[in-house]
Amino acid sequence: MNRLNRDTIIAVILLLLVGFFTYTSFAIKTPVFEKLAPGQMGPGFWPRIILTGLGIMGLIYLFQSIISPPPPAEKRRGLVGWYRHYKNPIWCFAIFAAFLTIIPVLGMLLSGLVFVFTLMSMLGPKDGAAIKRHILTTLGTVGGMWFIFACLLEVQLPKGSLTGAFDEWLLVNVCGIVSSIGELFANVGPSCSILLASVWGVER
Amino acid sequence: MIFENIMLATSELMTVSTMLLMIVGVVAGLIAGAIPGFTIAMAVVLVLPFTFGMTAVQGLATMIGVYVGGLSGGLMSGILTGIPGTPSSVATTFDGFPLARSGRPGLALGLGVWASFFGGVISAIVLVMVAPQLARIGQEFQPWDYFALMAFALTVTASLAGDNMVKGLIAGLVGLLVATVGEDAVVGVPRFTFGSDAVQQGFAFLPVLIGLFAFTRLLSDVQDPKKAQDNLGAHSAESVRIEHMKAAKAVLSRWGNLIRSSLIGVFTGVLPAAGSSISNILAYDQAKKYSKEPEKFGTGTVDGIVAPESANNATAGGALIMMMALGIPGDIVTAVMLGALLIHDVVPSPTFITEQPTIAYAIFIAFFLANFTMLAMQSLTLRGFVAVTRVRMYMLASIILFYCALGVFALNNVQFDMWTLFWFGVGGFIMRSLGFPIVPVILGVVLGNIAENALAQVIAISTDPTMFLIRPWSLFFIILGLFSSFFHVYQKNRAIKRWTLGFIPAMCVFLSIPMFMMEGVVRPVLGVGFGLFGLYLIVQRARAGWKLPEPEPVMEVGDL
Repeated sequence: MNRLNRDTIIAVILLLLVGFFTYTSFAIKTPVFEKLAPGQMGPGFWPRIILTGLGIMGLIYLFQSIISPPPPAEKRRGLVGWYRHYKNPIWCFAIFAAFLTIIPVLGMLLSGLVFVFTLMSMLGPKDGAAIKRHILTTLGTVGGMWFIFACLLEVQLPKGSLTGAFDEWLLVNVCGIVSSIGELFANVGPSCSILLASVWGVER
Repeated sequence: MIFENIMLATSELMTVSTMLLMIVGVVAGLIAGAIPGFTIAMAVVLVLPFTFGMTAVQGLATMIGVYVGGLSGGLMSGILTGIPGTPSSVATTFDGFPLARSGRPGLALGLGVWASFFGGVISAIVLVMVAPQLARIGQEFQPWDYFALMAFALTVTASLAGDNMVKGLIAGLVGLLVATVGEDAVVGVPRFTFGSDAVQQGFAFLPVLIGLFAFTRLLSDVQDPKKAQDNLGAHSAESVRIEHMKAAKAVLSRWGNLIRSSLIGVFTGVLPAAGSSISNILAYDQAKKYSKEPEKFGTGTVDGIVAPESANNATAGGALIMMMALGIPGDIVTAVMLGALLIHDVVPSPTFITEQPTIAYAIFIAFFLANFTMLAMQSLTLRGFVAVTRVRMYMLASIILFYCALGVFALNNVQFDMWTLFWFGVGGFIMRSLGFPIVPVILGVVLGNIAENALAQVIAISTDPTMFLIRPWSLFFIILGLFSSFFHVYQKNRAIKRWTLGFIPAMCVFLSIPMFMMEGVVRPVLGVGFGLFGLYLIVQRARAGWKLPEPEPVMEVGDL
């Protein structure tokens, strides 16, 4: 027998979640106006099959965790030790969540610039040369990707409530130039072909 | 007649403009496949409007170029960054990334490229040679067979789980549960949405996949602050060179794995809705099962790269068979291609090959040529991608996370998808930290809705469970699933315990039963042969007194 270890706690949490979802699954009901035909599978049937399987596996996992010795790698860390161990992932998640939150305010381009620069500076070195490198890399990569998606693929990227006018200006000016060049090629291309064909025809 | 059709199709296809369009398509596919979050389907959809002004053959050649390029492009990011560019290259990362990290990215990429090429060529040959026969097998499938096939695919999770099968199965079931969120397919009742309108349609597959993979992989890489400031190829001192000769030889020397994986790919492609995202994992699993050193899988084995890459490219051939023979899309990409055919007033149906032989054979040849184009173009573009290995990990992680968010948003233009990406990233990271494998979750999400729909159809037709045992394909997959579940136990004990000597013979004998029950003459005859082979093995081993064999030495990556 083994005292309470990490696996036991996870198994108990898993079983509690299975219990909660099973309870919730009974609230999944077919509307009265949508009567099931004989032999038609109800909407809660399949989730309950999965939850039964998860319950059985959870019990086996719990049993395994109780009878087996704790894994040797399992070390006990304090809260500070735990934070130190997961510091970078925690910051990544926090900055990414902040990025998603500010998109409606600053738009995709500016939020992306802020996100990539902040994350690089958080995870990487913080000296002057590194910061310069981060700024240049951020501008090049985020700007480049924005250009591909917004101008070339014409994806409607989110505009910010604060920076909507700036986003619009960028779209009109940057993407507008690209489409003008495209139109120029479209107009010049056939003329060149005609010219070349006529020259070629004359030579023959 | 066939020769005439081939000649006509070749003359239509072999024009400068069509070939250029195909090259552009392959490059576009390679780029799309290499960017995590940018799926092949998305690339093909984006290319579709450009094909309106082309002829049917030109349009299809371009789209096939994107398709083949995309299937191969995923291996670049998968091998170099550990993040699969597309779901079809998920299994490639298992061994490709460790091999690249061990200082041989050139060999890893070369293996991927050549395996993709040979897989594609084998699939193209199968496509032309046995298209009508394979299409007939797909036609025989009934809901029972589909459900049994899904159940079999789920047993793969047992072997993907590594040492802890229970954790693997829990992960697989969690994936299935995730797939139930949103409206159910039968009556449209919302399930586990907890009043949120955003999840009414369920979670989009791509944000879930990228969240589980990208976040988990990237955050594991930057978890250690010192490692975060290293570059991906920190272990390789010299500049990376793609080792074409060594890679091609290594791939060809594993011809058994190559052919098996390619055939798995073709077969999976033939079945509607079972695409390359499943075939690469199935092929990897089979390669691991047949390997003499399965414990080395996941550490950078050659077979671990050859199997998924040959299978995912071969799937395209199978999917094209279904599209052309029956008008049923094998996956999302072929569904878009069906749309492209309709735009050009070509209606795909079982008579498509006989009514539109030029277009049909042009598709065959375009697929064949696209693989050669892919090989050439990938060799050129790979050098650029190898430069990625010189970027510091924390910079790459920051940029890729932004690209993932952008790619996920661009799929449906929905901001909620980015939050899905985030939450599944958190979930995947926690699961991984607690020792749960991520791949079974993905497999569960992929198969969940397909399995549920198949079960709903089964129940609607008959509630008699014996139908699963009466139908030959269903019985075939049930037996295969049972043996597959215990295969990891067999592999662990092979050449150690006596009972393992009876495992393969018993599998042959049991599988011969449904094969004997199948329609026609060829498969029952094959079934008899299979059964006799199993019995022969049993008699042979019994005569030898069930003696355990000596383990044989196996060629390592370093020996190449």
